[in-house]
Amino acid sequence: MSQAEPTSTTVDAEATKATVLEALDNVWDPELGLDIVNLGLVYDIKVADRSVVIDMTLTTPGCPVSETLPREAEAAASAALPDFDVSVEVVWDPPWTPERLTPEGLQRLGFS
Amino acid sequence: MVPPASVPLGFLLAGAVGLVAFGACLAFGATLAVRSPRSPDVLAVTHLGVLAFLTTAVLGALHQFAPVVGVRALRSIPVARITVVTLVIAVWALPIGFAYFPTTLVVVGGLVGAVAVCLAAWNLSGPLSSREGGIPVVGLRLSVLYLLVTVTFGVVYVLDRHYGWFPLIEHRVLAHAHVGLFGWLGLTYISVAEKLWPMFLLAHRPKARSGAWAVGLVAAGTAVLGTGLLFAWPVVTGAGGAVVAAGIGAHLTSLAGAVKHRRRPLELLHVFLFVSAAFVVVALVLGAVGGLAPVSTTVRMHLVSAEIAALIAWLGLAVIGHCHKIVPFITFNRLRERGIQTNRSGGPLLFGDLFDHTVAVATLVIGATRFALVVAGLAAGFAAAVAAGGAAVGIAGLAVTLNLGLGPRRVLPKAAHQDPEPELARTT
Repeated sequence: MSQAEPTSTTVDAEATKATVLEALDNVWDPELGLDIVNLGLVYDIKVADRSVVIDMTLTTPGCPVSETLPREAEAAASAALPDFDVSVEVVWDPPWTPERLTPEGLQRLGFS
Repeated sequence: MVPPASVPLGFLLAGAVGLVAFGACLAFGATLAVRSPRSPDVLAVTHLGVLAFLTTAVLGALHQFAPVVGVRALRSIPVARITVVTLVIAVWALPIGFAYFPTTLVVVGGLVGAVAVCLAAWNLSGPLSSREGGIPVVGLRLSVLYLLVTVTFGVVYVLDRHYGWFPLIEHRVLAHAHVGLFGWLGLTYISVAEKLWPMFLLAHRPKARSGAWAVGLVAAGTAVLGTGLLFAWPVVTGAGGAVVAAGIGAHLTSLAGAVKHRRRPLELLHVFLFVSAAFVVVALVLGAVGGLAPVSTTVRMHLVSAEIAALIAWLGLAVIGHCHKIVPFITFNRLRERGIQTNRSGGPLLFGDLFDHTVAVATLVIGATRFALVVAGLAAGFAAAVAAGGAAVGIAGLAVTLNLGLGPRRVLPKAAHQDPEPELARTT
């Protein structure tokens, strides 16, 4: 029983992360027309107990949507996980580069 | 961090009215613009272009952009609102004064304009004193400084018209014009571009230095060029012009680098930028030929008039192009605050949904071809071309104003019926 608990927690964490990623798939950069997951803006999702912390960045400091996009990511994840305490941390290290675009993101931008 | 939408939109709307008025007055004053470019009426039209259109719109963009890039708010929102009002009074009093009331209204306009610019500079000094922002912020500090220098020139010249301290001959007027066009408006555009181009093109070039060179050379060169023109020192003028040209070259190199390293397709804004860039090259050639070639006074006058028009076209098309980003960004946030999340087809609401692309392309075509007509008409001394070009520039101004102003209506009717809460939960 004591060995099963960590396994169960790990599975839950992975499932929670998957739920968060699915929710963030619907958060779009309104200028680029691409979701923030395929843009490579989501760096990390930390799950602990009933708390989720999303580390995300922006394409550049001073980005026009720097105030709204993290808020929208938090709202989307919170809506997908109503029983969790969700927060978004905007991080700048490492800085975002176009290399972080996923292959699907590149394809949708016309650079496949 | 960003000011209320009414602040930048107030400036931008006033700038749009200035653009329409500039085009219309240019059409009516075309003959004078060709025959007597220093006449009061032409002076009025020129000030409509550089003050009522360009300076007003650029100040609006800066009130939006500087807090974002400097990560620090304006010093005062009420002062920003007062700035809009005083600036509008000044930029209309001056041209009307030049055309109809030679001294009184011009002096009033000049002094009110100086107050407006001082208020703007004080307010912008908040975000621009930030240590964030890099080259764009450094460039904007210098450009605002040049704005103050330009206005000082203007106030002295305005008072000189009243008191007659010294003759306002060509080279002194041209010093004022070039400091304003290169030092204030040009340097602002060059600085802002260093932030916007990589962002809009997803171009990552951490080692690129051409933007820094552009800012430094244009800032330094303008001081030398302005001094040379002011005191009619040809060698100094030529040296300053060469440094400014080198700075513009670095600016265009930066554009080419951003385009080369882009990670997204080119779009309408970039076509605006390329056409705008062509005009600055034309302006440099006209300026060099007008300043150096052994031509008659009349031809030189035509060439210099055309150079000034080409510089206005360079900056004007860049401003109109960027407005297709700035205005949708502002209106987008307001729509989202109202719970509107999707466009008419049910997809996520994007900036590109907030204006009609066909009208935007038409604006570019009309604006570019007709600015070209104005420049060519002035260079060749052909008034009919200037008149036709001026009228169409006014139409382009009207088109961009209506297109961006009515843009939100493209998503409102259908989206407004949606229940925003489920959408908010589902998307963002």
